[in-house]
Formats: sequence, structure tokens, C-alpha cells
Amino acid sequence: MITQKHIDTLKQIVGNNNLLTSHEDLVTYSYDANTLWTSMPDIVVLPNNADQVSGILKLANEYEIPVTPRGGGTNVNGGSIPIKGGIVLSTSRMNRIVEINKTNLNAIVEPGVILQDFNNALAKDGLFFPPDPQSYLGCSMGGVVAENAGGPSCLKYGVTKQYILGLEVVLADGSIVKLGGVTPKNRTGYELAMLFTGSEGTLGIISKICLRVLPLPTSTKSILVAFSDVTVASDTVSDIIANSIIPCRIEFCSGPGWQKVLSPGFTLGDHTLLLIQVDGLPGTVEIEAQQIIDICIANKAADIVLAKTADEEDAFWGLRRQAFAAFAHKSPIRLAGDVCLPRDRMTEFIKKIKEISQKHNVNVGFTGHAGDGNLHPGIPLEKNNDDQLKRARECMDELIDLTLSLGGVISGENGIGLEKQNHLKKAMDPVAFELMKKIKDILDPNHIMNPGKIWEKNDR
Amino acid sequence: MKTTIRFNELDRVKDDLEKCIRCGFCASFCPVYRVERDESSLSRGKSRIIKGLLAGELTFSDEMVTILSKCTTCMTCTENCPTNTPIPSLIVAARADKVANKGLSFVNRLIYRQIVPHRKLFGNIVRIASWIQTILFPKSTGGIRHLPFFLSGLGKGRHVPQIAGKFVRQLTSEVNEPSHEKQIKFTVGYFTGCMTDFVFPEIGLHIIRFLTENGVKVIVPRGQGCCGAPVFLGAGDFDTGRKMADANVAAFKGLDYIITDCATCASAMKDYVKYLADTEDRKQEYALFAEKIKDITEFLVDVLKLPSSAYQVSSELKGKRVTWHEPCHLGRHLGVKEQPRKILRSFTDIDYIEMSRADRCCGMGGAFSIYYYDLSKKIAEEKIADIKSTDADIIVTDCPGCQIQLTDTILRHDMPQKVMHIMELFK
Repeated sequence: MITQKHIDTLKQIVGNNNLLTSHEDLVTYSYDANTLWTSMPDIVVLPNNADQVSGILKLANEYEIPVTPRGGGTNVNGGSIPIKGGIVLSTSRMNRIVEINKTNLNAIVEPGVILQDFNNALAKDGLFFPPDPQSYLGCSMGGVVAENAGGPSCLKYGVTKQYILGLEVVLADGSIVKLGGVTPKNRTGYELAMLFTGSEGTLGIISKICLRVLPLPTSTKSILVAFSDVTVASDTVSDIIANSIIPCRIEFCSGPGWQKVLSPGFTLGDHTLLLIQVDGLPGTVEIEAQQIIDICIANKAADIVLAKTADEEDAFWGLRRQAFAAFAHKSPIRLAGDVCLPRDRMTEFIKKIKEISQKHNVNVGFTGHAGDGNLHPGIPLEKNNDDQLKRARECMDELIDLTLSLGGVISGENGIGLEKQNHLKKAMDPVAFELMKKIKDILDPNHIMNPGKIWEKNDR
Repeated sequence: MKTTIRFNELDRVKDDLEKCIRCGFCASFCPVYRVERDESSLSRGKSRIIKGLLAGELTFSDEMVTILSKCTTCMTCTENCPTNTPIPSLIVAARADKVANKGLSFVNRLIYRQIVPHRKLFGNIVRIASWIQTILFPKSTGGIRHLPFFLSGLGKGRHVPQIAGKFVRQLTSEVNEPSHEKQIKFTVGYFTGCMTDFVFPEIGLHIIRFLTENGVKVIVPRGQGCCGAPVFLGAGDFDTGRKMADANVAAFKGLDYIITDCATCASAMKDYVKYLADTEDRKQEYALFAEKIKDITEFLVDVLKLPSSAYQVSSELKGKRVTWHEPCHLGRHLGVKEQPRKILRSFTDIDYIEMSRADRCCGMGGAFSIYYYDLSKKIAEEKIADIKSTDADIIVTDCPGCQIQLTDTILRHDMPQKVMHIMELFK
């Protein structure tokens, strides 16, 4: 419970302008981009530096006040919802890009930097940060690391953890610790920075991040392919990779907007679309694009469109980006999955979606990063329809059981947060599950950091 | 808690409120959020608290009014929103419902109901202000004066332009026939707007001269007043806004077009039909009025269709490097993006260079910059690097409000650029 004394102390730490207590302000920190969970904080603090974060955590630790870290609040798993009240610690004002080093191919940023701003700054030096969560316009770098974010480009470039060189973290007791460094190789003790990568804010507050960055590719080509059978589309993804071509992105696409960019005379109807992009040197992308087209022809693709200009390519990817908004707009409440399957088992999964959805009498649509087997099945929900919500949850349970039986995981890139807690136990080795609890006890013995998330009970 | 608040305006647009999917992508674009970096500054946060109002969870508290007023209505969020949620329209509706339920403050009541709608009184007050300005305000450079410390409520150190010795309506006839006895192509009304009328009359004179030289008869109706933007869009006083709209609609009856040199005025007057049409008659009249409104660049390029050779810069500007600041109300609200650029490209004697992110909000937002000068200044800071990288001598724009803001920004940074209205470039 927050008292006036706590508020006064927090004011001394961050100053009057970096602390929010009005009901109106608190409401705006009660949600993230998920649609099923909300909860009010008691207070919001917006520290400017690691020392202020340290002061906040010392107070919270002493009085056992829950602290929910928040970056851009674009996450879809409920992870930044202050489910147990207390303090929301927003890192949005720690937003300095400290350094971009083109020679060392690394950059140091604070957690509140928006991913798009980071990439804009990198682009001036011909660099980029490859993981591209589709919330890149709003998500912040602290969240990118704490969620170990992925995205379409991870097929070729890997996820965030592959770019972490070093972190500065404020632990629950207020101590500020530096982990890793700035060099591409570093074999100094345990990989402790990895503990906090994907920790979803349950182990500490990331206050500075050193990342590996890459030179921007000089050329790209994008190909849009339609298949009459979704499973052939899925098999084609495996065929492309098996032919030693690694595109930067292969995406399942759906929605009416695509008709206008397909070949004249071709009707989209129920066809499945794959959008494929290759990047690299101009000569290489020419060859790879042609190889992909040949594979698609051999697999009897119904239509193939190669983007001829950069504008056409942008239009294709613009349509892909709109998929989430179109689905979300049509279905203001929804249950969303984030399963990731071994690529060669993806077709089996897709084949069973229809059967499972019919069994539970719900509609399941899916988009996803086909290239790395990361699918987002989504079930639209009606307001105040508990029966439908129950059936949707049962359907999602079954899809997750299927994923696990095929060797997949319950979350590829969105994290567990609140939304996937129910599935965690069956998805982890029991020993690993207990190990997680022990790590939490060491780093955050009073369990103040983002309580009620991942494996902790979320009752208030 | 049971509430007795009526939401006449929000009820009309509540479907738009449902469009927001809380993705938070507006964080990359909202100029206020980019400075404040708290969720209630963000379009998503505003959408959420307006929902809270409608649900009876929140009221028109002081905090609510502050949050609602912290928006420049630049529309950058809507332009980049995956579901095109029109947050600024929702904010204006909420401001109107606030006024309908709780009224205006004493000061705003005095300014927005007793002064601004009454052109003669407004003019006289501005005239007195100009005398005070001359006596008390230190002069910084050219026609710019420096706000002294005792007016720090308007922003410490702010550079404000000097109020003109004579207003547009005193410098022009009501009817201005085309010169050289050319055949009259169109008869248009010229909407002077408060800023041009009181502060930048030379812009109006340029426009009238250029139009009459090109076969356009220009009427400057004496019955016209303020467009009403600060009154109904800024303060949410729709009742007074209607009176001002009715006066302007009546003043410009029977003309082919209504020409403006202020993107905000043009946009506000086109918005009469969207916000203020409470009867069928008003709906029809405002819609017809809106159709006739043309920004000056839009009129020259799309209606008059002048050849490139018609655009000549005045001799003292020859050889200068010029860049363009696109006002939010021109580009995003009116959709006029290409026309001013076409004119600029037509000038053969200047070096026109496009600024990176030329459409980024300058932070003026009308009364927003008075209430939140420090915030407004910080928003303008984001334009500095883009302006510097053009190496331009002159920044041109099409909104006197943006002119004031950019001039203040340039002077605060000791930068050499001059800020001009696009029509001031003309010979």
C-alpha cells in the first residue's frame, strides 16, 4: 500500500514533474496493447536516470511495494499491466542514444528510446538493428530487450538476444550492476546479461543497453506468391530454406487489400499469400529472388508478383503491417496466440487448425512469420460473451497442446506476461521451472519486480 | 458514481473512439508525447481517458481539462494510425462537451465571447496593445519584439512580431478590380484572418495585388471576422463558434471562391460543417461555404492554373536558397501538399530545397503555444536540425501562426534564416 510518506520520498527522488498521481494519469497506465487485462497502478514514476531508478527500487524493496516496469506499453501479453497495483516505473524519459559506433558496429542506448528512433539514428550511419517487432513505432529498447523481441526479419538475423553485448541493470535492492560489455566476444563468467534478456521486467530494471548493430543491406527484392492450398504454401517455406536460401523475411499474409497488388485477372479468393523478401548485394538478391520464384513455380503457385520498384516493395510491406490493425479493428477483443514450431512441423499444425476451431465453435485466423514457424492464431471475441471466451480459451489450449506435441513453444516472441501463464508449467521442464523461481528469489527476494507475471500468481 | 454529464458532441463521434486499438504506434509521431513522454500526452492515452469520460469513470476535472488542452491538433497521429483514429476530432468534441457542461473560465469567457467575435472591438484592443508594445517591449530585430519578463506567462523571452500600424482592411478597398482591364476570370472573397489583418498586412496586399494582376476580382468583405479556430476548436465554445461561422458565411455569400493565406483559418472554416452544423440549414450553408474555400496556393495551381512563368520572385530574393515548412493544417487537414511545392519549383531565380520532414509540426497550435509556451518551444526544437541541414536563407510557409513560431525559434537559436509567407516571395 502506497502512503503519503512513500509519495513524498518518491518526489524527492524523481522530482515533482516525474511523478503522476491523478486518477486521469493513472488510468493511462492501466493498459497495454492486450485486450483482456487492465489494472490500475497507485502511482507512476518517470525516472531520468539509473540513480533515480535505484532510489525508487530501494524504497519499494524496503516497503515491499510492487513495481511494474513499463517501456512503450505496446506489448500484447499483459506484461506491463500493474496487476498488483503499486508503482508503475516508466522508462520513457530515459531516452538518450548515448553512442553509435560504426567501427565497432555497436550502439549504447537508454531503455526509453523508441525502436524506430533508434533505427532512424542508425540509418544516418548506414546501420540498422535487425530485430523488427511490428510494434517498432511505439516499443522502446528496454522493452525490446526485456521481451527478447523478434519480428519478421529474425528468420535471417535472429532475435534480440543475439544482439545484446552488455546491459546495465538496477536490481530490486537498488544496486546498479554492469553485465557483459561492448565487445562482440566476451567470455567473462556466466552470461548474466541473458538472464535479464526476456525477463519481462521480473528481475530488475534495464537502465542501459549495449547492442550489436549491422550495416544496412544495399539491396532488397520482395516477391508476393499466392497458393491455392495453405499447406503447400507452408511446405514451400521449408523448400526455400532447404535449398540453402535464407530470405530475411517470409510472412503469411491475408486480408482484402492484397487483391490490388496481385496480377491482373487473378482473383485472390481463398488463396494463401506468402510475402518473401531477400536482402544483400544487388547481384545476390537477383539470383536468390529468381531461385525462390523457380521453387514457387515448381510448387504450382497460383500467382507470383515480383515488386519492380522500391515503392511497390514498400506497398507490399505496408499491406503486411496493416494486417494486425485490420484484425484488431474488426475484433476489438481477441485471444491471440504466438506459437513457434519447428519449420518442418508447421504444415501439420496448420492442417489441424480448422478441425480444432470447428470443434470449439470459434473462428481462428492466423498470420505470422512463416519463415521461422512463428504463427499468431487469433480468435475474435464478442463483448461480454463468457461462453465464447471459454470456448476460445479451450481452443487455444488445444492449439498450444498441439504445438508442444510437435516440438514447438508456447510463445515465439510476445512473452508470457499474464496471457500465457496458464500454459507455462506444461511447456517447461519442471526442474527448469523451479530453477526460475530460485533465480527470482536470489535477485528479487521480496518479489517486488513485476509481480504476478510469468510464473507468479496474478491475484491481487 | 452516477454522472449527469451530457456528451452531445462525443456521442456523435463515439464510433471513432472505438477505432483506437491501443497499439501505441502514435508514440513515434505525436509531437506533444515526444517532448512530454507520459502516456496522457499520447493520442492513445487521450483516447483512453475520453472513453473514461463516456463511461462515467472520469469527469471534467482540472487534470482532464489540462490533458485535453495539450494537443496541437496536428493530426500526425491520425495520418500514421493503422486504423486512422481521428484523435484530434475526439479531443475537440470533448472540449466542446466540457464547455457545454462546465462553461468557460472568466478570462476565456471575456476573450472568446466578448472580444474575439466582435471585429471592431477586437481591432481596437489590438491597436491599444500595439501602442503598449511600442512603449514597453524592447525591440530585438526587424519587426520583432521581445516579451519582457513581466509577461513571462506568455513565455519568457518569446519573440513576438510587432502589431501592424495599419490593418489590411484599412489598407485596401472592399472591392478590388483586376488591373489592366483584363476580363474577370473569377470574383473571389479574401479572408484576411486575424494574424494577416493585424500583424502581417503585407501578405494580404501581396495576395490582392497578384490576384488582380491575374484577372481576379477580389472582394474584402467588411463583415468578416475571426475564423473561430481558437474559440470552437481550441476552447470548445461551439455556441460562440456558430455565431462567428454564421457571420463569415453571410459575409462571403455569392462569391466564386473564398481565398485564405492561413492554413489554420481555411481548415477551421471548412470544419464548420463538421463541428458546428446543428441544424439542417446550417449543414447546407456550411457545406457550400466549405466547398468554396481555397488556400491561396491551391487556388493559384488548381483553379487559376497559371503557367510557371507567372511565378516570379521579387528581385531582392533572387539567388536565395529557400526551403518549405508545411503547416499541419495545410498538409494533413486540407490535403494541400503538392501545390505550394509546385509554385516553389516554378520560381527559376531561387534555389528551392526540400527540408527533411517538412511536415513536422512546429508546435504553434494556436492558443496551445500561449498556454504551453515551454512545451511548444521544445516541439519546435525538433525542426532545428532539419532547417540547418538545408542551409537555406529563407523558410517559407503558408500559415502566419507557423511564421511566428518559426521566427521565434530561429531568433532563439541565433540562426540567420528569414521566415516568410510564400506569397511574400512574389514580385
